[in-house]
Amino acid sequence: MRKILVIALNTFREAARNKVLYSLLFFAVVVIVGSLAFGSLSVRDERRLMLDLGLGGMSIFSVVIAIFIGVNLLYKELERKTVYTLIPKPIHRFQFVLGKFAGLVLTLVLQILVMALTLFVVVKLKEEHVGKALMMMTVLVFLEVLVVTAIAVLFSSFSTPFLSGFFTAGLFLLGRSVPDLRAVAGKLGGEQPVLATLLDSISRVVPNLRYFYVSGTEVSGQHVSVSGVFVDWTYVGSAALYALLYVSLLLILAVGLFSRRDFV
Amino acid sequence: MNAPSAVIRVEKLQKTYVLGFFRKKVRAVEDVSLHVERGEIFGLLGPNGAGKTTTIKCLFGLVRPTSGKAELLGMPASDIRGKRRVGYLPEAPYFYDYLTAREFLVFIGELCDLSRKKAHARAAELLERVDLKDAADMAMRRYSKGMLQRVGVAQALIHDPEVVVLDEPLSGLDPLGRKQLRELISELRAEGKTVMISSHILSDVELLADRVAILVRGRTAATGRLDALLDTRVMSTEVVFSAAEDKLEVLRGALDGLGLASEQHGETFALSFDGDDKTDAVVDVLRAHDAHVISVTPRKESLEDVVVRRAQAPSDTDDAAKDEAKAKDEPKDEAKAKDEAKDEPKDEPS
Repeated sequence: MRKILVIALNTFREAARNKVLYSLLFFAVVVIVGSLAFGSLSVRDERRLMLDLGLGGMSIFSVVIAIFIGVNLLYKELERKTVYTLIPKPIHRFQFVLGKFAGLVLTLVLQILVMALTLFVVVKLKEEHVGKALMMMTVLVFLEVLVVTAIAVLFSSFSTPFLSGFFTAGLFLLGRSVPDLRAVAGKLGGEQPVLATLLDSISRVVPNLRYFYVSGTEVSGQHVSVSGVFVDWTYVGSAALYALLYVSLLLILAVGLFSRRDFV
Repeated sequence: MNAPSAVIRVEKLQKTYVLGFFRKKVRAVEDVSLHVERGEIFGLLGPNGAGKTTTIKCLFGLVRPTSGKAELLGMPASDIRGKRRVGYLPEAPYFYDYLTAREFLVFIGELCDLSRKKAHARAAELLERVDLKDAADMAMRRYSKGMLQRVGVAQALIHDPEVVVLDEPLSGLDPLGRKQLRELISELRAEGKTVMISSHILSDVELLADRVAILVRGRTAATGRLDALLDTRVMSTEVVFSAAEDKLEVLRGALDGLGLASEQHGETFALSFDGDDKTDAVVDVLRAHDAHVISVTPRKESLEDVVVRRAQAPSDTDDAAKDEAKAKDEPKDEAKAKDEAKDEPKDEPS
């Protein structure tokens, strides 16, 4: 456990010294603050627009950062040959993969906290009450990012950053569209059974990221809506369980693939 | 192989890489066997592409052997108990360039089960030992290749291992750096550590190693004590001299009488002959004709010569077997293994 922590802290330190990340974070904060201005433009739905923009910004920027670092996470170690120094040390390869993943998650937690805090201040400035709801939103955004990070790390264990980024972004979009895929599959059922089965199968394999997709449409002070339905902490808990199961599965695969590799 | 005290043992190692989309097979190691005894400095020699680095990578679990054995302290590469007692410097090492050398060494120390405090103490000690104290808190992206190599040596020693494996440790170092590292390796031996160095710069290993293995095209071409592997007879002798112009004609005639001809290089002349039995006669003739003898250089077979000889005649297993028999600590079954390997098809699937 200590070795995973040591590798995680070093991975975090690498991210903390990466200037590109600061510019991305800065940009995200600008978008969230900017949502205040955009919200003011809309007379009727000021609150809704502000929260939608703020949340959307937080979610998209976190996902972008997760993919950006995630696809490079293991590949860079091979590319820069640092793996030749670390693997011969008394560590198991699974400790290496989990440590790298944990370091990236730690980085993302801090980034999301900065964004959530910004959003909280912006909302407070408008004298709105979103206390608990904002916490739920932040947790859901984090859970989605966790799954996307694990996907990126899985690809990074055997593929180049370009392809990994391409596939991870693709899976992210598919994951966000699971209900749509199922709806289309249902409509096509009679006419094109092959395509319908294919779409249905895809929708069952990819993680359903819609579980974590929060909208600001109907946010009350206590609750937050997912797909138009108000949810509570019990929902957040089950979403967390779903995310953790998925992440475990993806990490087991990543560890398996990485452990079999020859470092030529 | 009957070597109970061996700390590193490689037996009939074979490694075929399967590369790229088309699953192209590349044989990096065909048949390598060697063992390193406790307390000795062992040289792993051979031209580039001979399989030295792949053999070492098999020892540390960076690659999996296709067949055969690679063990550290009697344990396979997957066993971290073995790795805990062994230090390793990879070839042309590259480290996290956003870290300072001190941060990096503490990080590696903690991975090697040292407490944070102990890791800091060891890092400080080693930075001093490899002469990087002044640059210890500078980000490694600003380091020269030689400085990185020294950080590499320090990280290999951070947990005070019993066995140290250094892959091409002297490459990229300036003459002073090479001298310092050679001294450090000698110190490690004095401390009772076992050291294995790989190199294609043979003269460096020649000065340090107690025993060597010579790899040629993925096979162990010879292993044993250096003096046993090298032909210690004088192979040829070169004499350089200068002579007055008016005596030159007569001198040439006298040398001709010995069956030798000299070549002129500017002001000086040089001649060479096989062996060393004519040395006295040549010097007598030169002195008798008032020539000035500048140098007499006997040339013995160097490790370079041995490697070149092996590289040029890789299939000459009889010759190799003879040399191995000469190197007394080498078991005979290795030559036998070589003969068996010879019969294997080249594209055998892994």
